[in-house]
Amino acid sequence: MFLRNNTPSDRVVNLLINSLLVLILLAMLMPIAFMVTASFMPANEIFTMPYRWIPKTFIFSNYFHAVAGNDESFIFIRNLINSLIVALSTAALSVVVSGLAGYGLSKFRFKGRNFIFLMLMGRMMIPFEAIMIPMYITAVRLGLQNTYPGLIMPFILNTFGLFQMRQYLMTFPDDILDAGRIDGLSEMGIFWKLVFKNSTPAIATAAILSFRGQWDNLLWPLLIAQKERMKTIPTYIIKFTEEKSSDEGAMMAVAVLASLPIIILFLTLSKYFLHGSTMYTASKE
Amino acid sequence: MKYIGIEKKKARWGYMFVAPAVLLFFMFSLYPMLNAFYNTFFNIKLLSLRAPKFVGLKNYIFVLNSPSFWNSMKATALFTLGAFIPLTIFSLIFGLIVTSRMRNQKAIQLLMYTPAVLSSVVAALIWMIIFDPRGIGNSIVNNILQTHGIDHRWLTDPVMLRVSTVTIYVWKYIGYFTIIFVTGIAKVPESTLEAATIAGASTMQTIRLIVLPLLKPTTLMVSIVTMLNCLKSFSTQYLFTQRGAPLEPLNVVTLNIYNTAMRDLNISRACVMSFLLFLVMMILTLSRMSSSERNVTEY
Amino acid sequence: MKRMVCLILLTALLMPLFAQGGVEEKAVLDMSAPVTLTIWTHEDANRKVLEQELIAEFMEMNPNVTVDYQTYPSSKMRELLTVSFSANQGPDIFNQSQSVVRQFVIEGRVSALDPEWIGEASLDDVTGRYIPGALAAVEYDGDIHGLPLEYTNFCTYLNKNIFRDAGLDPEKDYPKTWEEVMEVSKKLVLREGEIITRRGYDFRYPSYTMQFLPMVEQLGGKLMSDDGKTAVVGDEAWLQFFTYMRDWGPEGYNLGGPTYLPPRKVFDNNNNEIAMSDSGLYQQGRMKKANPDFFNSDDWMVIPFPQFEDAVVETAGAIACHYYMVNGQIDTLNQMWAWKLVDFMLSHSADYLEQVNLVQPTYELFESDAFAALPFSDVFAADMKKGDLVYFAGNSSAVNDKLKGAVESAMLLGEDPATVLENFRKEIQILIDDE
Repeated sequence: MFLRNNTPSDRVVNLLINSLLVLILLAMLMPIAFMVTASFMPANEIFTMPYRWIPKTFIFSNYFHAVAGNDESFIFIRNLINSLIVALSTAALSVVVSGLAGYGLSKFRFKGRNFIFLMLMGRMMIPFEAIMIPMYITAVRLGLQNTYPGLIMPFILNTFGLFQMRQYLMTFPDDILDAGRIDGLSEMGIFWKLVFKNSTPAIATAAILSFRGQWDNLLWPLLIAQKERMKTIPTYIIKFTEEKSSDEGAMMAVAVLASLPIIILFLTLSKYFLHGSTMYTASKE
Repeated sequence: MKYIGIEKKKARWGYMFVAPAVLLFFMFSLYPMLNAFYNTFFNIKLLSLRAPKFVGLKNYIFVLNSPSFWNSMKATALFTLGAFIPLTIFSLIFGLIVTSRMRNQKAIQLLMYTPAVLSSVVAALIWMIIFDPRGIGNSIVNNILQTHGIDHRWLTDPVMLRVSTVTIYVWKYIGYFTIIFVTGIAKVPESTLEAATIAGASTMQTIRLIVLPLLKPTTLMVSIVTMLNCLKSFSTQYLFTQRGAPLEPLNVVTLNIYNTAMRDLNISRACVMSFLLFLVMMILTLSRMSSSERNVTEY
Repeated sequence: MKRMVCLILLTALLMPLFAQGGVEEKAVLDMSAPVTLTIWTHEDANRKVLEQELIAEFMEMNPNVTVDYQTYPSSKMRELLTVSFSANQGPDIFNQSQSVVRQFVIEGRVSALDPEWIGEASLDDVTGRYIPGALAAVEYDGDIHGLPLEYTNFCTYLNKNIFRDAGLDPEKDYPKTWEEVMEVSKKLVLREGEIITRRGYDFRYPSYTMQFLPMVEQLGGKLMSDDGKTAVVGDEAWLQFFTYMRDWGPEGYNLGGPTYLPPRKVFDNNNNEIAMSDSGLYQQGRMKKANPDFFNSDDWMVIPFPQFEDAVVETAGAIACHYYMVNGQIDTLNQMWAWKLVDFMLSHSADYLEQVNLVQPTYELFESDAFAALPFSDVFAADMKKGDLVYFAGNSSAVNDKLKGAVESAMLLGEDPATVLENFRKEIQILIDDE
């Protein structure tokens, strides 16, 4: 688009833009490359000046150290599984809740609809740190500390996901819904069989949003998961990096290991990750 | 059974569908928020077993008179401006560059997006080591500027600290917003662009007169979301100060809220600050929306 | 029908919100009733092994007691405890340092010890076990609210090789005063441009009230007046201290700073990165694990906490103390078992010393051969007599942060010490007035 490639001057411009793009990408990927290479180095090699981008010898003990932990309890594996459970179930539940609400808010007229929508959107303006303590007290009263529901429930409602479902469903053809009603499907049936099943792209992007949020979540698991076996990866990283006997190489190894699952997910579902952005552009009512 | 009109019936289903979301909202957002607001009028201390006393607007007066709060407002404002303007402008430019490429568009987008999938804890960890005086931050910058052995003091100089936090933030989110613009640009009708070319418009003219006006709604959404996220930003600043960076330039409102509650145990004052931050966010969002509404180009 | 289901679900979900777990008082303590105790403590790999063994032993002796042992990152412990206690969900047993426990003691969140529970006739017998002042932070209204787990002061670890490398004789040239610390460091430091690649000495930056406040006190300055009403006493001392710190930092002689790696961590590696680092006796355990060759060599030694040349008060580094405490909101039976367990664990002070290098402030331990046998324990013991417990009060963490801010303004921003002092005074005064 935009640029033609006909005249020599066009080609020069193109070449310039291409090299600029390469520079931008290099700069953006530099920290990630650093993380990967440093994870194979002993601490003092990481701080040699200038930095050697290829380790003198590849050291794998950093990875053992990262997984085993300083007490060799291998709790990392359990914590990783916890993170997966929490992130996956939050993602699954949140798309159902967002789907239902998005459907209700886009296809039904009822009193207070706009108010409810604005109220739900207002959540974006509340910093988590501000409501963390009352939230914790609520969770404790519900007996949710050290449980998976405790880690999951407060994040099932995902404002972005909901917003996106609503935007997507607004363009959902009414004819299909009416056809369903004529065929005698119940309202719930219409939702499941016609709406939900035909919204895969929106669902996938909303699910990814929730998954990422939970994978990244630090403060809440720190408060609510007090037992070692209920902790998640971000809390493990904080604990590991703070211990006196962890060196920088092992820290980078933990960082690599913690990033692998999400990067794999990202590469396999890249279509939906990139699609997640459409919500902003479809924001006109 | 009494006959219920079809509209009424539909309305009832509407309520049913939004009920789970509303219930979760009440439990984990509205209740904590009202609780926090109620707390602002009492002198509640965490850990204290004594019954809290009603103090009226005393907490508001204290916070509004405290230099630490205004320093935090300044830190938040500087961070937000510092991150929000480059993020919006550069993601728009990157978006234009990416769409202008014929080949490898998907691959470019994927690579740009990668930093956004890393968790903030991991990002802060990597950058802490990069910004170590002996780390690659200094060596790369010294290499580019052809200076030797200059310590750029990423984590100690107040100006550099702000630059460092903004760098991390922009690095992490620019790919995400670039892709939003890519999607937005892709929606510009091909025929419009062709018409412009036929009419003899140059590339710059096409971008300025056709693409940019059509991107207004996208830009508006991106800027509001970025602004809100910047105002709420917490984890980078928190992890930096935990590692020994000076607090003052990094003491954004959210961090101040956190310290006031967790270190000073003064939950009431923390709630006052949260409420004031909420007000600021609301005013900014509403004014941003209304200012843009007046000149959105329809297509 | 559906509405009923929803309603029932809703009630079921909200029920626990209103159901408050009441705490029952038992008049007669049933010693064989089953009890479960939770312990929260900060992460320390070596100590964890020892304590888990001790707990297993205790559970074998008392089959009705089950113990759940959990470790946390030390920087997060305080937040976790604050939040969980605020929700009345604190652990049965936890440990924290003197500055944090004070808030819990003042607010009445922790159990007062009944000496009979741990087989002592009176509180005086309990106090008598420990050296004077060791229990200061947990004493309140004549009660004792915790027992000390570790008592740590900082002395300076010194790498002799680096001294020799710089043409210094470690035995003769080791610094005795802060002025000498600076002079020696100037000779030891290596840089690439402005970037330091080898430091002479460097401070322990997070521990402001522990390490920096005693420096001011040596010069006759104080954090606040004796009646606790006026902030910052002895302006001359504070000015001299802030000037010293400004000279230390990148705006002065550029000898070190808070963003370089923590000295105590790189010291053990013996990689020619730092010549002197402050730490406690426990550092030897870490060194032994991280770098046994270096530990067993004759290449390091420990020297006392330096004094200023014109010091008016001879003070060594302040002493940090970690206490084990018992939740005061659980029922009496659990409190009793919790104290019994704490006492049982802590009674193995020799094991704590030998396996984890943690020192309990008991007469028994200080007089033991095991203590005397540890390298340089005499240096630590001598300094300990010259030091006090680190400043503890409800606001001590805030004070530590303000002191950090002040030192940084002088050191990193190169602000005028007089300005730094005025700002610091104002901030401390606000904290005092707020109490």
